[in-house]
Amino acid sequence: MNMENSPQEDQKWQSLLERSKPTFAGDAELPFGFLTSTLARLKAEKRDRDLLERIGLRALFASIAILITVGGVSVGVQLQNRFDFDPAVQSLIQADDVPIS
Amino acid sequence: MDSPIDVADCLQRWKQGDESAAEELIRHLHPVISRIVRTHLPRRDHEDDVIQEILMKTFSRLHQYKGDAPMSHWVSRLALTTCLDRLRAQKIRPEVRWTDLTPEESTEFDAAWLGSTTPDATEAIHARDLVDKLLSTLSPSDRSLILLVDLEGRSLEEISQSTGWGISKIKMRLFRVRAQLRKMIQNLEQRK
Repeated sequence: MNMENSPQEDQKWQSLLERSKPTFAGDAELPFGFLTSTLARLKAEKRDRDLLERIGLRALFASIAILITVGGVSVGVQLQNRFDFDPAVQSLIQADDVPIS
Repeated sequence: MDSPIDVADCLQRWKQGDESAAEELIRHLHPVISRIVRTHLPRRDHEDDVIQEILMKTFSRLHQYKGDAPMSHWVSRLALTTCLDRLRAQKIRPEVRWTDLTPEESTEFDAAWLGSTTPDATEAIHARDLVDKLLSTLSPSDRSLILLVDLEGRSLEEISQSTGWGISKIKMRLFRVRAQLRKMIQNLEQRK
């Protein structure tokens, strides 16, 4: 940055930044124990994610199974009820020999 | 700087459950993340925790990385966003007064005025604490902006790419931030 024409305050700011520059540099090497703890956290998070995924999949399959069962039962009940007439209607059908389709 | 390791190969191996690939990626990304965290967050913030948080985010979002830009660029953006989110959770100081400075910071303030010799490690830390105090009066995005320009020497185009802001917006903000910093330094000078 060209500081020749900038106010004194700008120069002061730049000088402060310059003096503190070493503290802004990143670590070239990993701090002690960092890799181990990061890998452990990563493993734990992955395990949790996998577990959640499995639970989610199981819940999905369970809901589908319940839906199929409930659907099957209701269709069955409906088919059963189809021929389940009132006794008066039943006798009329028998008397007139009405074909039931 | 993706050359020392084959990032694509590491990603593939990590997907297949190879933990050594994660280790390689962490070793490769750590210096990049560490530099960003150290630049954009105050010195006393829990640096290792933030770096770990960024790495966790990186690994959980790896499926979003398309490979069209170097991985370090993608991770840098993620790191910067995380730092900004963290800064947003902190309070902005209304101003810095001379009485807020420690004796060491006051000495550093004068040393900077005189443009004195190269500081030793302790002096650098005191200068950094003073810089952090001045920066704590700025909004998180203004704070990052001034550091990207004055410390990292990034061009307006580069900043525009990494932040998504337009060039004119960046120029305007920069002008405002500089005015704010000048005013604070003037105030400190007058209230000695």
